[in-house]
Amino acid sequence: MIFTRLIAAPLAVEECDYVNQPVCAPENVAELFVLPPIFGQVNRTIILMFLAALIVVAVLYVAYRRPRLVPTKFQAAVDALVSFVRDDVAVGIIGPEGAKYFPYLLSLFMFILVGNLFEITPLVNFPITSRMAIPFFLSLLTWFIFVGVGVRKHGISYFTHLAWPPGVPTALKPLVGIIELVSTLLVRPFSLAVRLFANLVAGHVMLSLLLVTGVVFVANIGEIGVKGAAGVLWFALGVGIFVFEILVTVLQAYIFTLLSAVYIESSIHVEH
Amino acid sequence: MMETWILAAEEGAEASSGLDLLLPATPELVGGIIAFGIVFFFIWKWAGPAINRSLEQRQQAIAGRLEEAEKAKAEAESLLADYRQQMAEARQRASEIIDEARQAAEQLRDEILAKANEEAAQIVAKARDEAAAERQRVLAEAREEVANLSLDLAERVIGEALDREAQLGLVQRYLAELER
Repeated sequence: MIFTRLIAAPLAVEECDYVNQPVCAPENVAELFVLPPIFGQVNRTIILMFLAALIVVAVLYVAYRRPRLVPTKFQAAVDALVSFVRDDVAVGIIGPEGAKYFPYLLSLFMFILVGNLFEITPLVNFPITSRMAIPFFLSLLTWFIFVGVGVRKHGISYFTHLAWPPGVPTALKPLVGIIELVSTLLVRPFSLAVRLFANLVAGHVMLSLLLVTGVVFVANIGEIGVKGAAGVLWFALGVGIFVFEILVTVLQAYIFTLLSAVYIESSIHVEH
Repeated sequence: MMETWILAAEEGAEASSGLDLLLPATPELVGGIIAFGIVFFFIWKWAGPAINRSLEQRQQAIAGRLEEAEKAKAEAESLLADYRQQMAEARQRASEIIDEARQAAEQLRDEILAKANEEAAQIVAKARDEAAAERQRVLAEAREEVANLSLDLAERVIGEALDREAQLGLVQRYLAELER
């Protein structure tokens, strides 16, 4: 029982009948995500956000404190990530001007990557990006940046190009214009935020369900008999998903960064 | 047990709406903004420039090293070409020397042969002369002997001494007539 209590502890259910309920079942799936405050208004999620920021800062500081011509293994690994964002995403997608956006894109990538990896970090096991706050804020920031870049580069014609796109038959212009306006100004930030958020929510729910179910089944094998052996299967499936989630977390951080770069690029070079 | 779970779930659905899940909670939003702000500020002010410096330094170093390698390669190639040329020259020189030596040897052989032939001819000629002289001498001796013998014979036959001087002259005249 002590083991199930340990597992159940992060689920933060105040009242729990441990005799009849092998695990403190959350009343609502939101309880997997809406964590109670620890002090003031600060909950575990917020502490993890600052931990993520600290990790990003520490990793970069250690790697580039005394950069060496022949890098250490750690520096080489960080170099691989950083130069990927710099050369393939910032400069690769946006072009030579992309160097200007490199700090923003690197911040996005590193912060989201660490936030995502919390999903599969032992003892943390909670992706801060599964809370809408971060995807919402970051996609809004990307929105402001790419709209701002478009307006600064092209003035009001940034919007008129969207609403009255050149190179489209006149009869279709109103229709395409509406589609362009909606997709660029509304769907882009929305899909950017929801893609990240939903992927991490789904991953966290799957992992919680499978791993906890597995443990509960096996832990209560005395009560439910042979059926408890099915818990091994659940747990194994959970471990499989765990490996898969490594891929998802890295991929989602990459996609968010890549799309931000693509949106900025499309604002710089409007004529398509 | 299952029933209590389902009941709890139903109660929960009523108690807290799914919107809690979908909308950003204000404290978390503030926390997230500050946390991201820290990351961005750090990267913008410190890490970004440090990264650019480090990567560019390395690129330059690698480019410089490539250039050096290129130079060394060119040098090695020119050295190799030099060596090859020297080798070819040496080989040609050697064959020239061999040719010269061969020519000299042939010339020497011819000279020696010619000299030997000449000497042989001289020896033969000398031998022939000597042989001829010997024959003459032997002939002369024989002639004198014949004359003496004939006189001795004649003296025995006659039984008295002859005028030797006069008789010898006679015999020799006769012999000379025979030879003719």
